[in-house]
Amino acid sequence: MTASTRPDARSKLEGSAVFGMDLEAPRMLWAALVPSPVAHGRLKTVDLSPARALEGVVAISAVDLARLLPGSTGDPDRPIFPSGTVEYRNQPVAAVAAPTRELARQAARSVRVEVEPLPVAVDLEDVFPEWPGSDADGSPHIAAHVRAREGDIEAVFRSAEKVVRETYRTSSIHQVALEPHACLAEVVDGEWKVRTCTQTPFGTREDIASLLGVPEESVVVEGTWVGGGFGGKGAALLEPYALLLAKATGRPVKLALGYREEFLLGRTTLPSVIRMETAVTAGRIVGRRVRLLLDVGNALPGRDFATGYSIGFLLGPYRTPAFEVEGYAVRTNKPAFGPHRAPFAPQCAFVVESHLDHVAHEVGLDPEVFRRDHLWAPGDTTPFGQAVGPFGLPTAFDRARAVAAHWKQDGGAGTGTGVAVGFWSTGTGAGGEARLLLSPSGITVVQGEREIGSGSVLVGVAAVAARATGLPRDRVTVAYEDTAHAPFDSGVFGSRTTAVLGRAVEEATRTLFEEIRTRLGASGSVQLEVVGDEIVAVAGTARRPVRELLSDAERSVGGIVALGRHYGKAGTIDERKVEVGAFYPYTDFTGAAHAVQVSVDRATGNVRVLRYAAFHDVGTAVDTASAAAQVEGGVVMGLGTALTEEALWSEDGRLLNAGLLDYRIPTLGSVPPIEVTFIEGFAGAGPSGAKGLGEPPIIPVAAAVALAVRDACGAHLTELPLSSERVARALKLL
Amino acid sequence: MARSLPLTVNGKSCPLDDVPDSERLLDTIRWRLGLKGTKEGCRSGECGACTVLVDGVSTLSCLTLTHEVEGSALTTIEGVGEEPTGRAVQEAFARAGALQCGYCTPGFVMALAGLLRERGRAAPTEELLDDLGGNLCRCTGYLAIARAVSTLSKEGT
Amino acid sequence: MSGPFVFVAPPSVDAAIAELATGAPGEVAVLAGGTDLAFVLDGGRAAPRRVLSLRHLPWRTLDWNGPVLTVGSTLPLRSLEQDPEVARRHPGLVQAVKAVGGVPLRHRATLGGNLGRAAPASDLIPVLLALDAEVDLVGPNGARTLSVDRFLISSWHTALARGELIRSVRFPEPRPSAYLWQRVRPSNDISQIAVAVARSPSDGGWRLSVGGIPPRAVRLREPESTLRSASPSAPAVHEAAEAAARSLPIAADRRASEEYRRHLVATLLERAVGTVAASPDGGR
Repeated sequence: MTASTRPDARSKLEGSAVFGMDLEAPRMLWAALVPSPVAHGRLKTVDLSPARALEGVVAISAVDLARLLPGSTGDPDRPIFPSGTVEYRNQPVAAVAAPTRELARQAARSVRVEVEPLPVAVDLEDVFPEWPGSDADGSPHIAAHVRAREGDIEAVFRSAEKVVRETYRTSSIHQVALEPHACLAEVVDGEWKVRTCTQTPFGTREDIASLLGVPEESVVVEGTWVGGGFGGKGAALLEPYALLLAKATGRPVKLALGYREEFLLGRTTLPSVIRMETAVTAGRIVGRRVRLLLDVGNALPGRDFATGYSIGFLLGPYRTPAFEVEGYAVRTNKPAFGPHRAPFAPQCAFVVESHLDHVAHEVGLDPEVFRRDHLWAPGDTTPFGQAVGPFGLPTAFDRARAVAAHWKQDGGAGTGTGVAVGFWSTGTGAGGEARLLLSPSGITVVQGEREIGSGSVLVGVAAVAARATGLPRDRVTVAYEDTAHAPFDSGVFGSRTTAVLGRAVEEATRTLFEEIRTRLGASGSVQLEVVGDEIVAVAGTARRPVRELLSDAERSVGGIVALGRHYGKAGTIDERKVEVGAFYPYTDFTGAAHAVQVSVDRATGNVRVLRYAAFHDVGTAVDTASAAAQVEGGVVMGLGTALTEEALWSEDGRLLNAGLLDYRIPTLGSVPPIEVTFIEGFAGAGPSGAKGLGEPPIIPVAAAVALAVRDACGAHLTELPLSSERVARALKLL
Repeated sequence: MARSLPLTVNGKSCPLDDVPDSERLLDTIRWRLGLKGTKEGCRSGECGACTVLVDGVSTLSCLTLTHEVEGSALTTIEGVGEEPTGRAVQEAFARAGALQCGYCTPGFVMALAGLLRERGRAAPTEELLDDLGGNLCRCTGYLAIARAVSTLSKEGT
Repeated sequence: MSGPFVFVAPPSVDAAIAELATGAPGEVAVLAGGTDLAFVLDGGRAAPRRVLSLRHLPWRTLDWNGPVLTVGSTLPLRSLEQDPEVARRHPGLVQAVKAVGGVPLRHRATLGGNLGRAAPASDLIPVLLALDAEVDLVGPNGARTLSVDRFLISSWHTALARGELIRSVRFPEPRPSAYLWQRVRPSNDISQIAVAVARSPSDGGWRLSVGGIPPRAVRLREPESTLRSASPSAPAVHEAAEAAARSLPIAADRRASEEYRRHLVATLLERAVGTVAASPDGGR
């Protein structure tokens, strides 16, 4: 990869790229949030007067909302400032603006907040020590309940040769993007304008409009460069507060979190308790039961991808003739569950892979053969009746197994290998649109997403545009415009960006070429050639430089414009299997198989990752360099989930490790060499059959490491992360 | 209390007036000098995003009081490319694709430029990588960065 | 956040001592490298009215006098770890120094600052104990020297008297030494448990110390005395390590249980003794 294929390299290497944290405007005020001192309680007093007594400070709380947002009701489930109860520690109960950042912090600290404490729910297993009974649905702690079945699982279990039952526990992990959330807001002529480091400008716009209770057209979101998102910058977090203070003060307002606040206020994956039961007869799985208790914090995320979405990942990419699955989303006094990279899927893969591996051990079968025998093949249907479609996971699995077997031959004492798979559903989000601008010298894709780092926008979409138009990459630019000017796109998440925007670009290209054909007065396919510094359009025997094809109006805007859109069709599941709640259909199945070699220190339980190989079902690799980079980054992030990352809370709902020293992400010294292989040919829904790649790399990692640990020392772990102490306990050292 | 402070920034004399005694070098660079390339990450010395060179030596600007570096020559990401070592690091990163979101990038470039000045280009890659352990990255998984480092080390002096 | 303060950078040792002496307790914070002080200020754990910078004092020194190494208290840790003579003669010390943060941090962090802070998880203090290091203090009543063991009182608390500054740390003799830690990550981390082991060529005795267990890093004199030879037998080492682990006031913290921490202490001590015994000049 060279600088020319990574168009943002120069500005990032020279320090000129402007991120949310860097935003500045004349007469700008700094904002700070006033946190609730307890995790659950009745709000008695929010006394802003000490803050207002400080020179230049403006302070607002719930009582100011009617004045600032006349006639609007906002979202009753997500009040900007609570007026009744506070539901999690550090929940913003007020906000202040001041001329300096230090004064804003001082002012926020001076606000007097009195909360009458109520009992705090922190630990899932304190809320539900046993699996919730049939009366649980009335409990205020249940935010959602889902259940589905196929067949009579009790009967299947009774007649099976063996039933293996286990309980797993997974921890809360945090996105830990290096850039904290930050935004700069201004309210001008009735327009709520905010510049912010968001993964989803349009999604953030919609969220802001809903929270403030204002029309979407009155909100303009301009995205800056994003210093890492990983799901944490996909919804409005700070923007409503900054906008309200901008309205209250009549000045631009900057709100940026400190790193501790990033942890305290972040919405991310929360803990879970998962019960897995699998029945086997004659070496085949005859039935499975899955029970998921998932902590969703103080509120259910809008789409409940938490429970209804995750259950499918707990079944895994495996054939199951009979099943019963049930999930409860449990409310606790923490910030709401939010998306992390491949939300909750790494945890699910850890559980299902470890469990099926254990089942195989228990019935005396080779664990890899056992899983391979049950793995979905292309053409299979999922437990919920969806067609799997072209699916490269079996091929990936076989390749990973071969590598692991090879490593095993020269693995010394204390080493072990593991192979694990994970599947993913890409192409989520409503859809996207792109505008092509063909100028005399090149083509620009105008769209509404910022490049958050993966290259999916600047490299992936550019690659698709180059392929579609036939132009060399250096003639293609991807330009960003804010929500007032860009065509709609759902956002950079769900591994969907290149696929969806790419399809939109392909459609726009078809429209553009139609138009060119008409203007050339020719028939036959259109080609664009580069002659000197110009683009020349060719069709049949007709040949004209683009420059000569433009109308006056087009000359003034820079070229010919063509719009393309892609709104994917949602899949459907077999609703007859659903008894309670909603399960979500997957789309565009993809997956990966990873092989890892570890060494385990049998005296301390320390796990070291020695070698890693990742095999990914990508359909077509749109840009191999940025694709390999995604796999490397996702695997290392997964190693953090596997080995070192874990958020810890006190009984009263305080996050104990809200900092980078105590919440440990991988460092340079801890990464193994990683071999990346793309399995191509099992086409997905993206351009040229591409499948999304942003998230799959993180999914099988913890699973692969867990299996390798078992292989190395016999320790079978049922909790994440696989800390040294947990390994030591499993080895009975203590 | 605030007072003036002689300082050279990226080769230019840049005396500052009225810098509060409690001001951190990170804030002076970003908000007083307007050089936003040096990034604010954790602000507690754990991520390395704020790394700059003070008299050619890599330093965490978030932990440094500005008055502590009075009279020093400060180099930031905006100026490091003026020197051959700094430029070589930038080019190695670009060639290796050793960046994604770019937020940790200035810190890595400065830390590595400082290391190469300190150890020389003949320093073994392994040692250079060990010495970069204070800089965090969440996007790349470090491997592309390691590849960039190895090209710089092999090139030798 | 600690609020505004006055920054002073006295030009000489006498001026620094005088400046320090004029403040009420807690009013003046001493700034060596500043890497810990920044935390302290940000966390609001201290609100000094003055910050006294040692940047102009002539203490960025490293001197050998025969076998004796004297390290000036404001020498950046990075300079210490890069000195080839120190690496050769005090490998355990260099291992410990490299465990502190990252290189940019070690360009400012100092031995004096680390010792003066007396953090229970300090990476340097266990090695200082194993090397029988001494600390040279200077103050309004002149100069004095204490063993590091006597200098440390408890967590964040030393025997530094009012108006005193740490001038240097002295290591009486090179010793084969090893420093092992248990961490979650290999770099940029704080040790949960750390052990430093050394053997004195002059008296033949072992030095065992453990850090990371509040209130402070300690020498394990009882277990030390049971190791009677330069190459103690495996059972003797094992028993000494187990006895050491049993003797310590280990409690659970949020990161690890009591049993695991005790197990780690024993395991790391055993390994470190083995490393020193097997080292070229260790087994003699």
